[in-house]
Amino acid sequence: MKKEGNILLIGIGNSGRQDDGLGWAFLDSLGPELPSNIDVEYRYQLQIEDAELISHYQKVYFIDAYKKLTPEGFFVTECFPKETHSFSSHALPPETILFLAKNVYNKNPESFILGISGESYQLEIGLTETANSNLNKAVSHFCHDILIM
Amino acid sequence: MSQKLVIDPVTRVEGHGKVTIHLDDNNKVKDAFFHIVEFRGFERFIQGHPYWEAPVMVQRLCGICPVSHHLAAAKAIDQIVGIDPENLSIPAQKIRKLLHFGQVFQSHALHFFYLASPDLLFGWDADPLKRNVVGVAMEYPKLAKKGILMRKFGQEIIKLVAGKRIHGISTTPGGVHKRINVKERNYFLDGKDIPSIDTMILWAKEIIDFIKEYHLKNKSFLDSFASYPSGHLGLVNKENGFLELYDGNLRATDAAGNITLDDVPNNDYNEHFYESVEKWSYLKFPYLKHLGKNKGWNRVGPLARINICEGIETPLAEKERLDFKLASNGKINNMTMHTHWARLIEILYCAEMMKNLLEDDDILSNDLIRKGERRKEGIGIIEAPRGTLIHHYEVDDKDRITRCNLIVSTTHNNEPMNQAVRWVANNVLSGEPEITEGMMNQIEVAIRAYDPCLSCATHALGQMPLEVNLIDNKGVLIDEKRR
Repeated sequence: MKKEGNILLIGIGNSGRQDDGLGWAFLDSLGPELPSNIDVEYRYQLQIEDAELISHYQKVYFIDAYKKLTPEGFFVTECFPKETHSFSSHALPPETILFLAKNVYNKNPESFILGISGESYQLEIGLTETANSNLNKAVSHFCHDILIM
Repeated sequence: MSQKLVIDPVTRVEGHGKVTIHLDDNNKVKDAFFHIVEFRGFERFIQGHPYWEAPVMVQRLCGICPVSHHLAAAKAIDQIVGIDPENLSIPAQKIRKLLHFGQVFQSHALHFFYLASPDLLFGWDADPLKRNVVGVAMEYPKLAKKGILMRKFGQEIIKLVAGKRIHGISTTPGGVHKRINVKERNYFLDGKDIPSIDTMILWAKEIIDFIKEYHLKNKSFLDSFASYPSGHLGLVNKENGFLELYDGNLRATDAAGNITLDDVPNNDYNEHFYESVEKWSYLKFPYLKHLGKNKGWNRVGPLARINICEGIETPLAEKERLDFKLASNGKINNMTMHTHWARLIEILYCAEMMKNLLEDDDILSNDLIRKGERRKEGIGIIEAPRGTLIHHYEVDDKDRITRCNLIVSTTHNNEPMNQAVRWVANNVLSGEPEITEGMMNQIEVAIRAYDPCLSCATHALGQMPLEVNLIDNKGVLIDEKRR
């Protein structure tokens, strides 16, 4: 178990559904030589136990594919705890995970969503050219503007 | 005017199903059906693949119980390479069992804490916005924390053996890939990084105490709701008839406890089962040949397993089994809601078994793989969390799979779930002028007791919201509710 003060990157998606694999591809692109204070986790979807996981970190990034195309090809936005309701408890949004971490574990890690634009989500392995291009931009931004900060 | 009520999809189950209830002119129930509307067809598209790919591919049927499919397929493929279950090396057997108990433990914890407990804690008339796992976490944080950590413990066991929590790979034809080392097992024993296996046993006992107390307070409901006589099917230990989840003989009883399938070896299953189809569901209806379609269907899963076994090898779970038997006066238990209770006894059993295996030095051994004489057919049967799971493969001389038959736990429970839906339709909905949210949820409560995995059963992926349609006798939609 990691101590307080570390960063968790959670890649969300499914590499068998084309650009839905962007979250995982982002983690892969960072390579194995990450700073020791950074951990990565791969998820098909967020579940309630992830509230317990993030309660051990100071900062969390949720990295996921974004269905809409953005001018930069990606976006980063701060994420806050929020109670949401859904028919399913198998796929919870980041806001609900943060809400549970805050209320059940009394932890409120600084959190961000990194959304990377994709364009196709069919049953196929491999990102589209657009998604690949957007992935590279997101990785570059993350490594130069966020990690170095 | 006669009407048809449709609940589509059913919520807090794994997969996508719907319910239709046909009403007559007086709002009396004429008939009720639980439909499974997904289709994928794993049995077909695995044909042509090399047999050693089966345990890896078929586990993609499901994100909840992939380990069960991985192990059932592995047992079948063991036979292809000439290794029957008893000829697997002792360390490989124990490592596979550790994986299996971790899977059943986490799956049962998921079901009870995430899916079933909202109904028990808040009641079925509670606001659905509250009646969910987030609501449980907010109002019962201590209980939620335990549920989360119990599920996590099982998932960590899976990760230990199979490399990752979902869709990992542990088995190879005739054995397993890797042994466990001392540092890895101490992670689960010493309680330094995660709550220890002793804590899991303690919490499992606590949650059984909860359901026993709940039963005392809600006896009438738990004993009667959606209850009906049925057959019960599962594996039992080959030597003593005890509860068995990994490898045993097939046993079934009727609703009164008379044996209807007498400790049949796995390889003979095909002589005893037929599967029928209905045009209104993709899910088949298995039954025992000699009893016929109308009398030969059986429940599977925790309630069936506790019913048919003669004992449990771990002391704490055995004590709980004996208490459980008292609730049905020592007879076969046909009370559907007692399935939750039986499931929690199995959680305790799995925890005790994991402790035994983690403390067993055999799991540290490198004696992991056996080889035998190549065969053309392999059958693997295990008790998955939801019940008896059958994988059957045939291969050609070029190692390609030529035939695959999967009978999944939820498939066995198809007719039982339909019976449960009919019970609610007849006892709760029939004659009522309006179908309320609470009534709708009672249908789901009845289905949910079986923890159905509809994705597995039809080998499909889908979503799980709820929709209710009211349709008249001419097929015209006259009302609709969706959430």
